[in-house]
Amino acid sequence: MPATTPSTAKTSTRTSPSASKLDESVPLLRVADLAVSFDNGKGPRIQAVDGVRMTIYPRQTLAVVGESGCGKSVTAMSTMQLVPRPPGRFDRGAAFFNHNGKSVNLLTLSEREMQQFRGSEIAMIFQEPMTSLNPVYTIGDQILEAILLHQNVKLDEAIEIAVRAMDDVGIPDPRSRLSDYPHQFSGGMRQRVMIAMALACDPVLLLADEPTTALDVTIQAQILELLRKLQNDRGMGMMLITHDLGVVAENADVVCVMYAGRVVEYGTVFEVFKHPLHPYTRGLFASIPKMHEHRRRLVTINQIVDNLDEFKKLPGASDGVRPWWPWHDPPKDIRPKPGPAGDYYLQEVSKDHWVGVWRTAAVSDHESPPPDLDYRIADDPDAPSKKK
Amino acid sequence: MGTYLLRRLFLLIPTVIGMTFLIFMLIASSKGGIGAALAFSSGAGQAKGESAALQRARLEDRYGLDSNVVVQYGRWIGRVSPVKFGTRDQVSPAGERFREPRSMKDPPLWEWFVGALPEADAPQEVPAKDAEDEVKQDAYRQASNDFAAARVDHVRARTEFELAVGNLLRETGHKDAVESDGTVNLGLAKRIEPDKSHAMWSDVEQKAQLMLDTYKKTISNKATLDASFATKPFPEAGIPIIPGVISVGAPDLGMSFSRSVPVISLIKDALPITLLLNLVAFPIIYLIAVPSGILAATHRGSWIDVASGSLFVALWSIPVVWAGVLAIGFLANDKYLGLFPVSGLHDNDAANFLMLPSWGKDGFKMGYALDTLWHLCLPVACIVYGGFAILSKQTRAAMLENFTMDYVRTAKAKGVDGGSIVMRHVFRNSLLPIITMFVTVFPATLAGSVVIERIFSIPGMGSMIIDAIFLRDTEILLSNSLIIGIVNVVALLLADILYAMADPRITYK
Amino acid sequence: MDPTQSTTRTQTLESVTGVHLMQGIGHKPAKGFWGEAWSQVVRRPGAMLGLAWISVISFFACFAPVIASGHPIVWRDKTGAETVTSYPLFEYLTAVDLLLIVFGIVGPLWVLIPLGASRGKRLGMLIAAGFQAAVIASLAMYLQSRITHGTAPGWVLDMWLNVKAPKENPNGPRDLLILLSSLSIAGAVSLLWIFIPFTKHWWTRVPFVLLVGAVSFACISAKWTPKLESWPYHKFEASGKFEGTYTLVPWSPLQGDTAFNRKAPGESPASMLPEDRVYKTVDRPYVLGTDADGRDVLSQMLHACRLSISIGLVSTSIAVVIGVTIGALMGYFGGWVDMVLYRVVEIFMSFPVLLLLIIAAGVLPRNTYVMMAIIGCFSWMTAARFIRAEFFKLRDQDFVQSARAVGLPLRSVLFKHMLPNGITPVLVDASFLIAAAINIEAIISYLGLGPGDRPSWGHLLSAATGQTGEFIWWLATFPGLAIFLTVLSYNLIGEALRDAIDPKLKKARV
Repeated sequence: MPATTPSTAKTSTRTSPSASKLDESVPLLRVADLAVSFDNGKGPRIQAVDGVRMTIYPRQTLAVVGESGCGKSVTAMSTMQLVPRPPGRFDRGAAFFNHNGKSVNLLTLSEREMQQFRGSEIAMIFQEPMTSLNPVYTIGDQILEAILLHQNVKLDEAIEIAVRAMDDVGIPDPRSRLSDYPHQFSGGMRQRVMIAMALACDPVLLLADEPTTALDVTIQAQILELLRKLQNDRGMGMMLITHDLGVVAENADVVCVMYAGRVVEYGTVFEVFKHPLHPYTRGLFASIPKMHEHRRRLVTINQIVDNLDEFKKLPGASDGVRPWWPWHDPPKDIRPKPGPAGDYYLQEVSKDHWVGVWRTAAVSDHESPPPDLDYRIADDPDAPSKKK
Repeated sequence: MGTYLLRRLFLLIPTVIGMTFLIFMLIASSKGGIGAALAFSSGAGQAKGESAALQRARLEDRYGLDSNVVVQYGRWIGRVSPVKFGTRDQVSPAGERFREPRSMKDPPLWEWFVGALPEADAPQEVPAKDAEDEVKQDAYRQASNDFAAARVDHVRARTEFELAVGNLLRETGHKDAVESDGTVNLGLAKRIEPDKSHAMWSDVEQKAQLMLDTYKKTISNKATLDASFATKPFPEAGIPIIPGVISVGAPDLGMSFSRSVPVISLIKDALPITLLLNLVAFPIIYLIAVPSGILAATHRGSWIDVASGSLFVALWSIPVVWAGVLAIGFLANDKYLGLFPVSGLHDNDAANFLMLPSWGKDGFKMGYALDTLWHLCLPVACIVYGGFAILSKQTRAAMLENFTMDYVRTAKAKGVDGGSIVMRHVFRNSLLPIITMFVTVFPATLAGSVVIERIFSIPGMGSMIIDAIFLRDTEILLSNSLIIGIVNVVALLLADILYAMADPRITYK
Repeated sequence: MDPTQSTTRTQTLESVTGVHLMQGIGHKPAKGFWGEAWSQVVRRPGAMLGLAWISVISFFACFAPVIASGHPIVWRDKTGAETVTSYPLFEYLTAVDLLLIVFGIVGPLWVLIPLGASRGKRLGMLIAAGFQAAVIASLAMYLQSRITHGTAPGWVLDMWLNVKAPKENPNGPRDLLILLSSLSIAGAVSLLWIFIPFTKHWWTRVPFVLLVGAVSFACISAKWTPKLESWPYHKFEASGKFEGTYTLVPWSPLQGDTAFNRKAPGESPASMLPEDRVYKTVDRPYVLGTDADGRDVLSQMLHACRLSISIGLVSTSIAVVIGVTIGALMGYFGGWVDMVLYRVVEIFMSFPVLLLLIIAAGVLPRNTYVMMAIIGCFSWMTAARFIRAEFFKLRDQDFVQSARAVGLPLRSVLFKHMLPNGITPVLVDASFLIAAAINIEAIISYLGLGPGDRPSWGHLLSAATGQTGEFIWWLATFPGLAIFLTVLSYNLIGEALRDAIDPKLKKARV
């Protein structure tokens, strides 16, 4: 892989890249069969991510959903090589990033090359706004650090860029607040600072790792609204990691449901919400309390995924296609490939819908393409309900 | 910032008071208490007894040995504090300090002999207030000498009387009123009806007569001295705030009996030496320990980490006395390597040295500065080596902890390179615990330098304290502890201020 | 969903997912907090070396009197027609020597031979037993010294005079009294001990407690012979009518002979004697030389092990008890209690502790026990601060809140719910405290402020440099090395323990 240095391509003039500059039909990020494991000190390695595939297009929001520890964050952090190695290790796979028309495998870049991508091309915002800012530096210092690193500008220009970025994310009186310290900001404001910092260098891809989990509900809505607006303005691709299905429904174009380090369901937001095929996804939806239902006890996710009938609802179940579910024994006719995750396969069940299934005879005979959805709700004339 | 500093300085006062109280109580709880006699007094026989009595009289003046230890402490802190209450002292231009004579203690067990204590004679004539200073001063000195002489006689008479009473009581079956060291428990003795028919009673009576006679002479002389003091023969010390009640003046650290000089002049010589040792040692500790801690953290698990960790723990575990003895023995002793001077801080001939090194016709001359440095090598080495481990370990731990912080991930996600993350983000945050470590390292270094001074015979505060312990020179012990305590507390305060400056989350309010 | 089947299916995997972990695959059974910490410590070679050295020291602390003694093991008197054999070494062992020897033999066996209960529990019982024996021994010795000095309470002295009256067997009644008193003390301590929980049912502790009580009481009551430092055996041997068999190091620690003067390592007393000697001497060399008074350095060093071990343990125990109590008060009650007590802590911390200790050692009586006490009383501050900080954290945690909410008594909240969670840093710190105490003892002894009534490494070290500027290398090297190794051992163990229990450092990777 030739070393590419985005900063040379990126000049100070590129302050507002319009979406038209990006080829929207080429995926920004294509994660292919990613597997990451961690050293446990003693005992076998912990396989955090195993055979994950996904794509993100410009101006698209991919929501990654799943319970804690299912590998959502590891997937995102791997694409930026933020997974500490050791104890982490990339076992397999690649993360191809479309950089000015060239496809770059982010996982094989050297640390120095990767630094050119971090912040400038791909930015990330984290879950904990309270601790993600360095307490001993002013906000201005921290935003300027990123700008001065990636953009060939003078200090006063950089300050202008920082002020504009802070203004964009709705921080009042940005110029005077540049010299404030993080502890002088509230949680919501700090998350805005984080977003301003991430967006100051106009990244084309934003990885938002549960950006609103630590915030209260009203702030959540504001931040998500802000992110959506910025995304539309700039044509960024966004990976939105969350476990809040409400957030998914509101914001996502494509949904990727993960469980135990593997993708169990992948599809457009309408497909997945209307026709959830994997029992785990169905369990997730069923465990949301509904406003108008009166039940003594809520349905737990286990009640759904333990129900064998649920597994038969998958198309092709009669042919021996079974949703992959680690708590069950694999079907009799399983044909595993050698190596980890060989018993698992991400099967296309319809044009815009993939489900993780056991690699049985029925599926291994019908190779399906990896999940790849160039879909945005905003462009979809058939979308059942346009968002706002 | 100003108010913050003021408030912190103000908070030091109770700490210093508590600290000195602790040491005072420690000494007071020892055998003989605050007034314990010098373990060694110059002279022999009569002269020795006289000097001991004089010392006893001085201590009684200063602390009021008959009162409660807490009151004694109060008197002491009143003397050393810059804010003073009561009549102001008078100081001669030569620096001698004269204070209002304290009231005399009643002689013991006088109830056994007389109906009432003897009254003082009328004071002798003293020069008028508006007389010449010299006349007043001569009169005062005369009165003071008379009083001191009479008092020494009285104290000795009293001691002999107590011994006689002790013998009598022991003989007449009142063993419990006599302590194991021969002194009489006066409280108990007062309640005993003495056996006047015993053969020893006459001895007791005779000693009592002598004691009461000397007492009468002493209080008469004291009346004269009081009158003389009231004429103000010397200028008064300090600046009055409310005349006669509160004044501000230089602390009175008392006289050293073992050396017969004011303690303050001893401290003036010794303190710079101790400070020099620490000020040389301290930067060395930080300059070696902090970078190695950073290296160990960034190369966690590598040979650098393991080697520096093991080396520092080993150094830390070397007892300072062993290091000192080995250094003196093998490095300094002429029988072995003889590379360094064995003791002291300067060559014997240092007073004649030039400041800087020079080449003369008899070869290379070290000069004062280099000679001092050469003498400092071993002591400073012995002070610093133990400090590396704890500071380096703390730096490493702080760095490692900060490496796991979320903001480091943020910085990485921004594209900051590894070196900047280490120094700009992680180390900057690790500064706070490193500054905090000052609180542990500085007192340890200071105390270490005390021991080192003793081993290398450097005439600093530490040597002085340990000499004073052996000699039971209470004044040096108390004053040196006070000064070392203040040095320590001020250093800790500086660290606090540094911390407040380094951490933006702390506001100076 | 059958977990056993899944187990068999995935056991061979080289990596596991979170699901496997939930299914119990890839997990090792938890060893418990201290078990885990111990296994971490064992993996550190430094810590193991430290443990080994401490074991060596402990061994000598127990057995020094039978390894290094001027008393012969066997003494044959051939003056009469028949050879009379006696065993002076054993006759002149003190009660404490005897107790320690019993413990030195029984202790390791008790811990190492598997006996049902877990090793940790047996170790706990051993420590308990040692504590019990120590209490009995010190109380009995205290009583004995009060009786012999005539300062015991009136009723004890009366009893004593009553039993002393029969002249036929002067030792019998005295021994009887001591027997009775130590028996009652042993009984009281045993009763106390039974109700301090360290095994589940109190009755399981009864036989153990009785056994320990009986052993210690037997040792103490059997040995009331006054301590004898040495006896001129060699003078008798020179006549040829006596013969002795000596221990490995045939000198008692304080058995000096000014005529022999100071000797370098390897020299033997024989080489210095005049031809017409009245002493027949052991021809063995002084392995580590002697000090200025001709006292064997090796023997002194072996006997000093006991002081070294005990000064560390006793003073640290005092410091931990004071520190935990004050820290718990501050941390639990907060408010003004905290404010007042923390001022006290600050006052102690605002002065160099070593200097405070030097002054205290200088002005207070020169006595081993006083030294232990002052070291303990002036080094509790770190423990108090640790506990305070932990308690502040714990106080607001849910499990403590709920313990209080369900109305558990303060005792239960403090000792059952808070202390076990907050004590860890203190226990790790204790290892460093022991090291510091040994170091401080060396410094104080070196400065000439130590007790000096029994052999001590620091005391030996202080003799290495005289006022005359001479330097005796063996007095500097060997005792200093012993202090260094001991301090290093405790520090290494402390480091290993700290790294083992500090989850923050484990998580941290660059």
